[in-house]
Amino acid sequence: MHIPDGYLSPQTYVPLYAVFAGFIAVALKKVRQNLSAKNVPYLGMAAAFSFLIMMFNVPIPGATTGHAVGAAIVALVLGPWPAVVAVSVALIIQAFLFGDGGITAIGANCFNMAVVMPFTAILVFRLVRGKAAAGWRVSLAAFLSGYLSLVVAAVVTAIEFGIQPLIASADGKPLYAPYGLEIAVPAMAIEHMLLFGVIEGLVTMLVLMYFARNDRDGVYALQEAKR
Amino acid sequence: MTFIDRTITTIAGIIKSSYVQWETAGKNGLFQKLDPRVKVLFLVYFIVIVSLMRSLAAQLALAAFVFIVIAVSRLDVAHLYRRIAGFAFFFGFLIALPSAFNVITPGEIVLPVAELARSHRLWIYAIPKEIGLTAEGCFGVAMLTLRVANSVGLSLLVIHTTPFFEILRALKMLRVPDTFLMIIILSYKYIFIFSRTVEEMYLAMKSRLVGPVDGATVRGLIAGRIFLIFKKSQTRYEETYRAMVGRGFTGDIILPGFPAFSRRDVAAGLALALVGAAFLVIQHFI
Repeated sequence: MHIPDGYLSPQTYVPLYAVFAGFIAVALKKVRQNLSAKNVPYLGMAAAFSFLIMMFNVPIPGATTGHAVGAAIVALVLGPWPAVVAVSVALIIQAFLFGDGGITAIGANCFNMAVVMPFTAILVFRLVRGKAAAGWRVSLAAFLSGYLSLVVAAVVTAIEFGIQPLIASADGKPLYAPYGLEIAVPAMAIEHMLLFGVIEGLVTMLVLMYFARNDRDGVYALQEAKR
Repeated sequence: MTFIDRTITTIAGIIKSSYVQWETAGKNGLFQKLDPRVKVLFLVYFIVIVSLMRSLAAQLALAAFVFIVIAVSRLDVAHLYRRIAGFAFFFGFLIALPSAFNVITPGEIVLPVAELARSHRLWIYAIPKEIGLTAEGCFGVAMLTLRVANSVGLSLLVIHTTPFFEILRALKMLRVPDTFLMIIILSYKYIFIFSRTVEEMYLAMKSRLVGPVDGATVRGLIAGRIFLIFKKSQTRYEETYRAMVGRGFTGDIILPGFPAFSRRDVAAGLALALVGAAFLVIQHFI
């Protein structure tokens, strides 16, 4: 999911930087309204939490392991706007410190994983949970919020890849991501539907259930039911 | 490798890479002596140039330039180029390789691979009668591989010659708000504190678990660890906030600025700007 440098043309990464800048500005404003002076250490903590979730490897069938992006669980626990800031900061640190994800692709990566994922996760959770406060329906809502948010983010990423041959090629030569929409979208969607989405859904559900049992009042998505 | 070993390796990798970068940033090399603002501008400027260049020869020339700068900055060339080659091979070459075939990138076939009895059409997908590598497809694969290699090389050059906090402070120049930079700085500190915590938790778990453990138990253990890390980071945040308030923090954040550029930095900045512009120009001639 981390797009490296070289895959996106300037026609794609510049507008995505602008879109991401807009979201991060709104997110900072929203969080500041709720937390005032506390917002800086709070968001620092949230970003570190978001970063560290990616470190936890989960055993998956096939004797291998995988890790979650964590944006869905961060959104369910903290709320979508703090999640936008937290996941963005984690992605920026990954890009600048470890070279994971490109510098030109920061806007795109943050849009896909820090904007699309949290809002999709919250939306799916609300829709599936309905009025249930606990039980299988909340578990299913948590799983699907993780699963679908990652699949949707993967499809958005695939669209960004897939439009490259259409908008940035020279005399039939691909200059950036070489696969068109007809290949990029099914390839990304299928692998995320069959494998990575399941890991994301599983981690989101397990961690949310743990929070529900031990610190229900501290979970944004579970507090919403009371409002 | 078990999930415990893999997690410990990941965490150890984070801590190690941070120490390596901190150490190399303190070396007496060419790039280490430059002002962080010059290096951050160089990084952004050159990565944009890499993304704009459409000539393979120009990309190769830029790769040679990056290699020379890495070498004169007294960085571990073998170590860095192993990473660059790994990234370029996987994200550039391997992922793009199928696009070299005419099934994906139509064009002049330079290496026929197979011939079918007839061409096929499956919904929106067309399979031609003759399958092979095309000149256009090979160009795309080579371009993506070189782009990835050059971009990663430039990033690693700056990351390994500049302390992380200086990179962040230099981002002020690009109009990134101080509040956002402060969140990144705090988060970076928390990450290292809690990376150690996660490492210790997993080492303790490894020493206690004997024999096979079923998947459900393992997933329960991981969920518990993630919850624990959240609670620990929440406690740390409350403590940090109280400490900040105790020192007079009111919510306004202004990071200290940099002193004026030295003559050496101005000269280096101009030289790098000219080199970058030269790459953009020469790509039309080579």
